[in-house]
Amino acid sequence: MNNPHHLNPTSLKSRFTTRFLRALTKIRAQKPISSSSPTEIFRRYRRIKVAADKSMAYSVRSRRIWSRAMLWKLRSRSYRRQDPCSGRRSGKTSQAIMKKSSNENTTTRREDGVGFVEEADELRQLVPGGETMNLCNLLDETAHYIKCLTTQVQVMKKIADFYSF
Amino acid sequence: MADFSAQSYRQPFPFLDIDPTMESLTQFAELNPQSFILDNSAFNFQTFFPLSINDSLFSNQASQGETMSGFIHNSNQSSVSAQPIFSAKTEMEEISNKRKALDISESSSGNSSSTSPQVSETGIKRRNNSGRGKRAKSNEKEMEKPKEVVHVRARRGQATDSHSLAERVRRGKINERLRCLQDIVPGCYKTMGMALMLDEIINYVQSLQNQVEFLSMKLTAASTYYDFNSESDAMERMQREKAEEAKELERLMREGYVGIGGVACFHSSSTYGPL
Repeated sequence: MNNPHHLNPTSLKSRFTTRFLRALTKIRAQKPISSSSPTEIFRRYRRIKVAADKSMAYSVRSRRIWSRAMLWKLRSRSYRRQDPCSGRRSGKTSQAIMKKSSNENTTTRREDGVGFVEEADELRQLVPGGETMNLCNLLDETAHYIKCLTTQVQVMKKIADFYSF
Repeated sequence: MADFSAQSYRQPFPFLDIDPTMESLTQFAELNPQSFILDNSAFNFQTFFPLSINDSLFSNQASQGETMSGFIHNSNQSSVSAQPIFSAKTEMEEISNKRKALDISESSSGNSSSTSPQVSETGIKRRNNSGRGKRAKSNEKEMEKPKEVVHVRARRGQATDSHSLAERVRRGKINERLRCLQDIVPGCYKTMGMALMLDEIINYVQSLQNQVEFLSMKLTAASTYYDFNSESDAMERMQREKAEEAKELERLMREGYVGIGGVACFHSSSTYGPL
C-alpha cells in the first residue's frame, strides 16, 4: 500500500529534481553542440548553472527573501539580455525599489551591539538578497539557503554520476 | 557511484582503529559519570579528544567533497560521544545553578515593583529548571518558549528599561539562530565563539556554491560528450530512465544509512555492474 520507497513528491528535493531535469532536457534539445569551441561550451555551462539556480529558486517560490531576490536577479538579467531598452527602464525602477527597501531596514550598517559586523557583511554578500536584511533575518535565511544548497549539490551529484559512467 | 558512497562510508573506521584508546576512554566515560566530579582536569582531557576525532573526520571528508553520507555518519558519532559530556556537565552545573537560584530570588524581591506577576512566575519556573540542571548555561537573559508575548527576566544589577530589554531579546534571538546554524554547519563546535562560527558558516556557504559550479561544469562536459557520441532520442530516453533511477538510488541510500549501512550499498552496486 504505502510504499515506503517513494520520495515525498512535495519535498524540496523532488521539486528541484523534476524542474532541473526538465530544464536540462530543454537545454540539450535546444542546441545540439556543433563545435567544441570553448565559447560554446562556456555558454552551455552558463545556461546549466542558471537553470540550476532558477529551478532551486522556483522550488522555493517566494517564501523566502533569498529566493525572491534570486528570482528577481535572474529575471532582470534575462530582460536585459533580450531588450536593452526595457532593461534600462526596469533597471531604474528596480534601483528605486531596492533603495527604498534598504532605507526601511537601516539597521544593516549599524553596529548591532553584538560585534560581528565584518563577518555579517561578508555573509550578506554570499546570500542572495542579503544586503537588506538585519542580522536576525540574515541568520534565518542563511540556514534555509544552506539547506537548499545541500539539496542542490546532492541532486546534481547524482545526475552527474549517472551521466558519466 | 554506489561504490563511491560505500567507500566513503567505510572511511571513518580507519581513524577509530588507529586510536582505540580514545574509544575505550569514551566507553569508560559512559560507565563512570560520577568520577568526573572528582577529577576536573581528566574530564576536560576526555572531552576534547572525542570531539577532535569528529573534527578530523569532518575536515577530511569536507576536503574530499563528500557531503551527505559523511555528515550523517559523523552526526551519529558526535551524539554518541557527546552524551557522557552532557551527563557529567549537568552534575557540575547543579552546584553553580543553586547559586544562580539564590541570585534570582534576591532579584525577584528587589525588582518586584518593576516586573509584572507573569515575569516573576517565569523566574520561579527558572529556579525549578535550574535545580534540575536542565539548562546548561544562559548568562545573558532567559526567554520562555514564546507563545505570544516574550517575557524577559531582568537579572540583578541590569537595567530594566524597554531599550535594553528589547536589545536583550534581540540578542537572544540571534544566539538561538546561531545555535541552529551550529547544528547544520559541520565543523562548528560549541566551544567556539560567535565570530569564529560565522567564519565557518561563510566558508561552508562558499564551498557549497563552488560545488554547485563545479557540478554544473561536470554536467556540461558530460552532455557535450554525449552530444558527440550518440543520437538525441536515445539520450532523452536514457535521461528519463536515469531520473527514475536517481530517485531510486536516493531512497536506497537513505535506507542504507538508516539501517545497517553497507548492505544496501552493496545491493545497488550489484545492479549496476562493475563500476
